[in-house]
Order: sequence, then structure tokens, then C-alpha cells
Amino acid sequence: MPTTRGGFAAILLACLAAWGAALAQSDDPLAVGRKMLAEDNPGELWIERGKALFHQKRGPRNASLEQCDFGLGPGKLDGATAQLPRYFPDTDRVQDLESRLLTCMVQLQGFNRDDIVKRAISPAGSNGSDVEALALYITSRSNGMKINISLSHQKEYDAYKAGEYLFYRRSGQTDFACLQCHGEANKRIRLQDLIHMTDKKGVQEVVSTWPAYRGAHFVVRTMQWRLYDCFWQMRLPELKYASDASIALTTYLHYQGNGAVIKVPGFKR
Amino acid sequence: MRKAWLKWTMLGAPALIAAGCATAPDPATTRQIAEKMVSEDFTAPTPALLKRLEQDRSQRICSKIGDAKLTQEEAAEVVKLARASIQYPASGKLVGDWKVGNTLAHDGAGDRIQFGRLEKRKENGGLCQNCHALAPGEINVGNVGPSLTGYGAQRGNSEAIAKLTYERIYNAWAYSPCSNMPRLGATRHLTPEQIAHLVAFLIDPASPVNGKR
Repeated sequence: MPTTRGGFAAILLACLAAWGAALAQSDDPLAVGRKMLAEDNPGELWIERGKALFHQKRGPRNASLEQCDFGLGPGKLDGATAQLPRYFPDTDRVQDLESRLLTCMVQLQGFNRDDIVKRAISPAGSNGSDVEALALYITSRSNGMKINISLSHQKEYDAYKAGEYLFYRRSGQTDFACLQCHGEANKRIRLQDLIHMTDKKGVQEVVSTWPAYRGAHFVVRTMQWRLYDCFWQMRLPELKYASDASIALTTYLHYQGNGAVIKVPGFKR
Repeated sequence: MRKAWLKWTMLGAPALIAAGCATAPDPATTRQIAEKMVSEDFTAPTPALLKRLEQDRSQRICSKIGDAKLTQEEAAEVVKLARASIQYPASGKLVGDWKVGNTLAHDGAGDRIQFGRLEKRKENGGLCQNCHALAPGEINVGNVGPSLTGYGAQRGNSEAIAKLTYERIYNAWAYSPCSNMPRLGATRHLTPEQIAHLVAFLIDPASPVNGKR
């Protein structure tokens, strides 16, 4: 008993010290609130749902996703997301997690691609889409592992360079590329922090925290959504779900973020 | 030294190829691959809206990759194009109503495309608040651009300042080529009349931007 109590007191002290240090370190009062929210992430609920969906026999072919190959072999999920996007010989394409998921839902389960794409990004405040839950579950199986993108296939290298090109490509009535908002440290759009993505640490934060629970939408969002929504704000046309452009940008960012430790679900405002 | 380098390259290159190592595509190839994506991977309710993805000459110049720097010639060309783009309100009045400008500066909506529809608005918001500090003590403002707090209090509201301010909003690249600031008038995001209201918002002594802290 005394040991337990002593242990408890030690933990409490350590927590208080850590909390004090966090407060002292942060000039930003919003950071404290964000940290509190992140510690109790509602996105966790989507993981179990994604797991159930993964194993359940579904679709016109009444099949599970257990035979889906995310790059490490059929059904091998541990660490798979850490190496995505990558080149897949069967589709002869570089694919990110979500486009690979689509491939499997179509080929193994017999779903109609357009139907899945139409529902992939769920309305705010809804129960979320199957793809969102599945993407989170599959990524969570790489939690604690390091992002490790190789550019060993020529198409991977091409996608990486195309993604870089797109990151810097200005267009539209706002003259924006990704760089205009994400090229400097400590910037905000109104009160929203903008991640500094031409910085190793910044880009690592991005690639290791999606899918994430988006507080303002009450649902889990994926990297595909994040990119889509940026183009929307830039007043540009709508980025097609799981398109090569989206995968190229993801390839660029993930390769830049190599070494980041995956920790999902992330928590975003 | 040079021979050693050559020897390693000759030994190394075939080994790399055998290991399936990819090489960096040249810039022209990358451009071709990426531009194909741009033309195929976006949708819009009308073909005219898809054209928003097409770059004009200045945007192409201003899309330097990585640490690549703008050359002096390029900067001069962007400035020249920007100067030529500037149009003034039909009335000739460069200073409008600061109250209208205040509303506009805090309006971040208009012209976005979602779920196959264009955001219908009579006119677009000015977007200023997204990136610039405005009235003293105003908290919900961005910091991507410089603070505009006290803009007119510091510079006055002479005709010259009004004209400079108008032109910087209409096409910021006439003064700062390739800066992050959108060319709000030149790209038709805002009308000349709207920009005149924003000028008033920035330089009128009665505007909250020039108020006391």
C-alpha cells in the first residue's frame, strides 16, 4: 500500500511537473487546450469500427479485406502504411493508402468504385464513411513505426517530383500554391496554425498524424480530405479522390517526412 | 582524385541500375507528368471554372521550386506585367467607404467550389483578415502577411498613399514580385470598387485600423 501510494504521488508529481513545463514552454494559450483535447481523442472510436469493417464479409462478392495487399503481402497490415505511397505492380500505379483501399474494395469485394468515392469523404457531423474508418484502422496498425518511403521504382520517383512541382505551383485567383501558406514557421490563417511543411519537423507532424479526428467536423478525416479541402480554400477546382495528383502530393510530403513516428488518430481543431 | 570518382561512378551506376534504383526525372519530364495530372485530376461544374488551374505567365515565373531564386530579369517581367494589369474604378475614386471596406476585409467567402457547385455570392470577400492583423486588439486575425494595424496612422491619407495602397491591393506584384499576396484585382477576385473600399478601410483616420489600442 505505501509503495502504491508513493508511486501514485510520484506519478502525480511527474504529471504536474510535465504540465507546468508544458505551460511554461508554450507562449500560445491555445496549445494547452489542444493538448487536453488530443489526450482524449474521440477518433479512437473509429479504429474498432474500421477493424470490424476490415474483417467483415461485405460487398457483391461477400468478401472481407483480409486478402488485400497494402504492399507487404495479402493481409499484412503491421507497418504497411509506413511505406505508403508505393508502386504496385498489379495496378502499375503508385498508390496511397486510400487509393489502394479502393482497389481492394472494387477487386475483392466487388463494390462500385464511383459509389465508394462519392461517399469516401463524409458530411460533417455524420457517422463517417467506411473508407475513413478503414483508413484509420489500417494506419493505426503502423502506430509507433517510422515512415519509410523509398523512391526505388521510377514511377515512385516521378510521383515524388511531380508532387514537389505541384506543391510550388501557383494558380487561380488567389495565386496560391501550397507554399504560400506552408512555407514559413509560426504562421496562422486567422487563429489556425499553419504547419511549416518545407521544414523536416513540420512535414513529419503532417505525415504521422492522418487520419485524424477533426473537432470542428465531429468525424475522422483522411489525408485525401486534407488535400481536397486545401484546394477548395484556394478557390481551385475539386481535387479528384485518390487521383494521381493527390497521390503525388502525398508521396512528396511522406518522403520529406521519412523517419516520423506514426501516431494516429491525430487530433485537429 | 578525378579518376577515383570516375571509377566509382562506373562501378556504381550499373550496380544501382541492377538494384532497381530510380533516377531523378529531368525538370521537363516532371513538368509534363505533373501538368498532365493538373489537367486530368480536377473537376469543376463548368469548363470555364476548370481554367482556373491554368497558369498565366507571372504565375509560372513565380512557381520556383525549392530554393530556386527569381532572376532579376524575371522579377522585372513580373513587375512589368503587374503594372500593365492595374485598372482603376470607372469613377476615378480610389478611396471608397471604410465601413464597407471593414466588412469586406473580414469576409473570407466567395467563389469556392464544392460538391460540384460554385459558391454563389454577389461579390467575393476581401480575405484580408485571414492573413493580416487589422484593428488594434483584434484577436482573430492571421499573420501570413504583415500587420496592417495603424496603416493609415503611420502613412497618412494623401493621394499618393491612396494610389500606392490601391495598386498594392490590385496587384501586389507590381511592388513585390511573386510575393505571397494574391493579385486580388488582377485575378478578378475583387472589383476596382471593392478595392477602393479596402483602401478607405486602411487609410481613413476614422477606420478601426487606425484607432487607438
